Amino acid sequence: MVTRVHIPVQNSAEEVEVALDQLPRDASDILDILKAEQAPLDIWLIIAREYFKQGKIEQFRQILEEGSSPEIDEYYADVKYERIAILNALAAFHTYLARCERSRKDEHFRTATQYYNRASRIDKDEPSTYIGKGQLCLAKREFSQAGEYFNIVLGGDQKNVSALVGQACVEFNRGELIYGEASRVHYLESLNFYKRALQAYPHCPAVVRFGIGLCRYKLGQFEKARQAFQRVLQLDPENVDALVAIGIMELHTSEADGIRKGMEKMMKAFEIYPYCGMALNYLANHFFFTGQHFLVEQLTETALAVCNHRLMKSHSYYNLARSYHSKGDFEKAGRYYMASVKEIEKPQEFVLPFYGLGQVQLKLGDFRSSLSNFEKVLEVYPENCETLKAVGHIYVQLGQHEKALETLRKASRIDPKDAQAFLEVGELLMSTDAGASLESLKTAQNLLKRKHEEVPIELLNDIGVLYFERGDFELADQTFKEALGKGVWQLVMDGKVGSSSMDLGAFIVQYRDMKLFHQLEKDGISLDLPWDKVTTLFNYARLLEELHHAEKASIMYRLILFKYPDYLDAYLRLAALSKARNDIQQSFDLIADALKVNDKCPNTLSLLGNLELKSDDWVKAKDTFRAAKDATDGKDSYTTLLLGNWNYFAALRSEKRGPKLEATHLEKAKELFTKVLVLRPGNLYAANGAGIILAEKGHFDVSKDIFTQVQEAASGSIFVQIPDVWINLAHVYFAQGHFALAVKMYQNCLRKYYYNTDTQVLLYLARTHYEAEQWQDCKKTLLRAIHLAPSNYTLRFDAGVAMQKFSASTLQKAKRSADEIRSTVAELKNAVRVFSHLSAASSYHSHGFDEKKIETHVEYCKHLLDAAKVHCEVAEREEQQTRQRLEAARQATLAEEARRKAEEQKKFQLERRKQEDELKKVMEQEEHFERVKEQWKTTGSTPASKRKDRSVLEDEEGGNGDRKRRRGGKRKRKEKRQKKRYEDEEDDMEDEHEEVDARENRGRENAQDHLLAAGLEDSDAEDDMAETISSISRRRRAWSESEDDQPSGRRPAASPADERENSAGLDDSDAEIDDEPKSNRRRRSGGNVFDDDEED
Amino acid sequence: MKLSGLKSVENAHDDSIWACAWVPATENRPALLLTGSLDETVRLWRPDALETFWPSPSTGHCLGVVSVAAHPSGAVAASASLDSFVRVFHVDTNATIGTLEAPPSGVWGMQFDPKGNLLAVAGGSSASVKLWNTSTFELVATLAIPHSEQPRPGDKSGGGGGKFALSVAWSADGRRLACGSMDGTIAVFDVARAKLLHQLEGHFMPVRSLVYSPLDSRVLFSASDDSCVHMYDAEGKSLVSAMSGHASWVLSVDASPDGAAIATGSSDRTVKLWDLGMRAAVQTMSNHGDLVWGVAFRPPGGAGVRAGRLASVSDDKSISLYDYS
Repeated sequence: MVTRVHIPVQNSAEEVEVALDQLPRDASDILDILKAEQAPLDIWLIIAREYFKQGKIEQFRQILEEGSSPEIDEYYADVKYERIAILNALAAFHTYLARCERSRKDEHFRTATQYYNRASRIDKDEPSTYIGKGQLCLAKREFSQAGEYFNIVLGGDQKNVSALVGQACVEFNRGELIYGEASRVHYLESLNFYKRALQAYPHCPAVVRFGIGLCRYKLGQFEKARQAFQRVLQLDPENVDALVAIGIMELHTSEADGIRKGMEKMMKAFEIYPYCGMALNYLANHFFFTGQHFLVEQLTETALAVCNHRLMKSHSYYNLARSYHSKGDFEKAGRYYMASVKEIEKPQEFVLPFYGLGQVQLKLGDFRSSLSNFEKVLEVYPENCETLKAVGHIYVQLGQHEKALETLRKASRIDPKDAQAFLEVGELLMSTDAGASLESLKTAQNLLKRKHEEVPIELLNDIGVLYFERGDFELADQTFKEALGKGVWQLVMDGKVGSSSMDLGAFIVQYRDMKLFHQLEKDGISLDLPWDKVTTLFNYARLLEELHHAEKASIMYRLILFKYPDYLDAYLRLAALSKARNDIQQSFDLIADALKVNDKCPNTLSLLGNLELKSDDWVKAKDTFRAAKDATDGKDSYTTLLLGNWNYFAALRSEKRGPKLEATHLEKAKELFTKVLVLRPGNLYAANGAGIILAEKGHFDVSKDIFTQVQEAASGSIFVQIPDVWINLAHVYFAQGHFALAVKMYQNCLRKYYYNTDTQVLLYLARTHYEAEQWQDCKKTLLRAIHLAPSNYTLRFDAGVAMQKFSASTLQKAKRSADEIRSTVAELKNAVRVFSHLSAASSYHSHGFDEKKIETHVEYCKHLLDAAKVHCEVAEREEQQTRQRLEAARQATLAEEARRKAEEQKKFQLERRKQEDELKKVMEQEEHFERVKEQWKTTGSTPASKRKDRSVLEDEEGGNGDRKRRRGGKRKRKEKRQKKRYEDEEDDMEDEHEEVDARENRGRENAQDHLLAAGLEDSDAEDDMAETISSISRRRRAWSESEDDQPSGRRPAASPADERENSAGLDDSDAEIDDEPKSNRRRRSGGNVFDDDEED
Repeated sequence: MKLSGLKSVENAHDDSIWACAWVPATENRPALLLTGSLDETVRLWRPDALETFWPSPSTGHCLGVVSVAAHPSGAVAASASLDSFVRVFHVDTNATIGTLEAPPSGVWGMQFDPKGNLLAVAGGSSASVKLWNTSTFELVATLAIPHSEQPRPGDKSGGGGGKFALSVAWSADGRRLACGSMDGTIAVFDVARAKLLHQLEGHFMPVRSLVYSPLDSRVLFSASDDSCVHMYDAEGKSLVSAMSGHASWVLSVDASPDGAAIATGSSDRTVKLWDLGMRAAVQTMSNHGDLVWGVAFRPPGGAGVRAGRLASVSDDKSISLYDYS
């Protein structure tokens, strides 16, 4: 080390000694000496360098600038090398300045270039100038240019260390610019140059070894890299870069020990040089994990202040952002992530801020931006599970289910142990593929269990719901119980509350009564119901309902309401339960409670409307439905369907069916159904409704097609049950005269959906039998219906009519036995009894029949009875006659036989006598011939007279018969007249019956309301379920959505009523036809037939 | 407590079987099962083989037999049909003793009182229970159920709040008579004073079957179309418990002679056995293919017959017999 320089004094042997560590503050002093003594330029250089080392930049500059001034140039014109060295030093200085002072970068670069150019002009082959130019290019990041400069140098001198290092630097930077395999080539190249430099100059500065370390590190040779860094530290224990590098490597071991050591290194580096951005960032990173956010902010702010490197800045911003992110300040976090991202040219450089930004944007609901950021992460790490899940989640939010599914499936494939991915896939599939969804969710559950992690209640809830939907009630029950864990509900499930051991009295059926819970609280039993269990408890209650444990379910719902009085769906379920029990008043009260919570909820309003329908409050119902529709901005198909149904009913309801009104209502209904169908082409209920309207208008074939399709579509799910469509199909068959098919359809429907208990459908069935003239089936069906609905007088009336009709038709038959007539008589007696009971009952029960009409029926039946009695007598007499005739015939044959025998006897005797006589005659032949002849004659006359007698008798009998027949005929005629009158009457009656039917229809509509009610409950149930806050709601929504159309569908069920009316209409026309050509009827009627009969 | 199937007779009748009752044992014969059907006949069966007891089924009913009842002596039984006639006959001979009718009253549920002096008949639309003297077979009393004060919303059963009497049950001590209605209310009468005590509320749908506990004359069970069985304190006028589990209407209920269980038949095609200690269904029999209209426990008594028996009859024309133990 040169500690002092000697400046030779001009023209003497003396020297001025300058101690380098005691250089004057003012460089002018030195300059004066240098100039005065015309000191060699290398001394200028040494002194300038010394100033630089001491950090006296101004002095350094002053000397060098003076040393490169034109006069010096002139003076030292032949001292080439030193002049070049001075220029190069200046240029290098400016290059350095350019690096430090970003703002004046270009200016400095320009100056540096000028100096180098000057140096080149002095000697264009000077290697150091090229090296300087190379460095300048490096600084300007013009790597290929730099490489060329260094190559020129290396061309001259293979072992030029500066050039080698420069070249290594160039290669390293090239490696930094690209990614993947290609970069390895550059790092290897760089490593080679460093190695050559080291070989050429084994004592080269530590930085070369540091370079080797970096290359090794980049090449993934971490152990060798570490060795290199450690060597650097051996050479220079205070080398911050090496400290940081080793620190980073230690930290990356991710072991507690490594992290501790790494942090020690970082701290040391920080102590040595507090402005190393890398160290600051890593320290900040560390304190982020230790949660010392204050330090994080300070460190990163410092780092940002001292550091200009893009990526370092990016890291710093990232650290800051992360700090705010973890504190929940998403706004700021987002801003800093954004700043971090802005520093990055390609996501490959530093991908974490993209992830962070994505997260924050997701949190703030900016899905599109978030998605694009996550996608950038995926560019770098296409198999990163977390990111895939995030992307999948965003797709879900954006409603792109296909993509979401694909992404999440990929995530679950990449990491088959990631429960979260399976969970998301499962949730996603819930609405579309329940089976796969269940599989996926179960996998998630198992994964969590295997890891002994707590299975989230939402997951169990979802699994339970899926089991529930699939009809696996047992498994659903288990799953819900597992989800719910311990709580007061266990007491309810075990029957310890609500059924036994406690005297609850009316609590059981008073759904608004909460006294049980007060009592339980008094008894010190905890009624704790965490909010995250409410949904599951609700679902569990739904399951209990499905398992027909309505009481337990009602207690669960009430528990929910006791803790969360705003839980609307629980009110609605309770109301639906009440309605199912026919406790209408309570149902109204519960709905009123629900309306207090939210008077705009369309579900509540729909249920209210249906209740109003059930209690026959039509006008109110319509208003309520309207309100419900308004509450959903008309977007909800269910309310639209309800209105459609309402209109449909209204069309058929009015007692005097105004054709105009009817048409408007039908048109309106059709419009509403079509509207729903346009919105949701898959809505079965709307399709069913449309089918009904078509049938109503007589387009049976089209409507049949529709009904068949709806029926097929509905057969898939256990939750979509549309018995109505079966009934409607049956109605169409009926209207088209396919009675057998209609019967089958009605019977299947009854059995499949109503446990054979629905009297309305039985009535349809009876009517079909009636039309098909299957009187006995008709009667039996009606008797069944009466047994099911004892107080329904309409059914009795119908049964009476059926029996009457049966009797009449038997009497009109061409051939009938006395037995048949006897049973007819019995039937008529029954009919009379039924009718008279009805008329008697009317005294204290208004059942809507005109007493007079019943009287007429009774009269008619009695008349028929009389007639039948006559017929019966006739038939019996006829039978007797036949018997007699047979007897007579038998006797006649007997007599004949006897006669024949007698004759034979006589003949034989005669023969014998003849022979005897012949003997005699031989003797007295001629004399007695005449006498013998006479004798013969007398013996022969006896049989003849007998025969004659018989014929007389026969004549007499015949006469009798004739007379009788005549008499009979007369009566018959009279009867015929009477009969005609009665038949007319009967027609009237039939018409009346139709009227009754119409009236009945009203009743039936009411019954329909029942149906509808039933439907509605379901819907409510589902709808209800749809209304939850948490993510579960999403899942359940899917579930509910499929169903929410249901109710409406049921409604059309009502349609049967009209269809029936339809048929009634047909009947009317029938009757008319009958009325016109009386002959027709007569052909069928008995009179003629009777006569024929008699003639036989 | 359990049921096990012993015997089923398919096509026991030509059509749906609507009613069943056990005829108590007499000195000469064991207890018999009496069934009534839509085929207008009443038949008598000898357990456990369920062979027919009469050479030919009884006829004389029209429009379907809706209920049958047996006198506690076992000698006499009654059957009623939709044509509102009650036929009373000797069990052993099937000889008719008399035909009862109280027009315009209909006939639905029937039961002889425990002492055998009276036959109570639910009178349908007449909103009353008719009591017939069982020696003279004369109508001795009409217990009327008053109209509800105000019609309930949604009540469509025949307007005006008039009741429709559907089912009857005598308490074990014979002092009380309960009558279930279409609208779900149950009227409780003090028989001695022929007075209505009160009406039990809780059901809002037809109560088709009633039975008192054989052990406790306060306890009454009711089966209703709301698919629940209610247990009432019939004296205290309070609902004690509601037992749900059937999927459809509960058509029939009977209490076991030991008082520990009840059995129910439902239109959901099942028979359920309920443990009254747990107040929960302990067993469900699903051997019927259609509505189960009647369930009946065999009364104790008879020579050496101790085993419990339950019979059920169904719309599927079959009779099933179970061992109850």
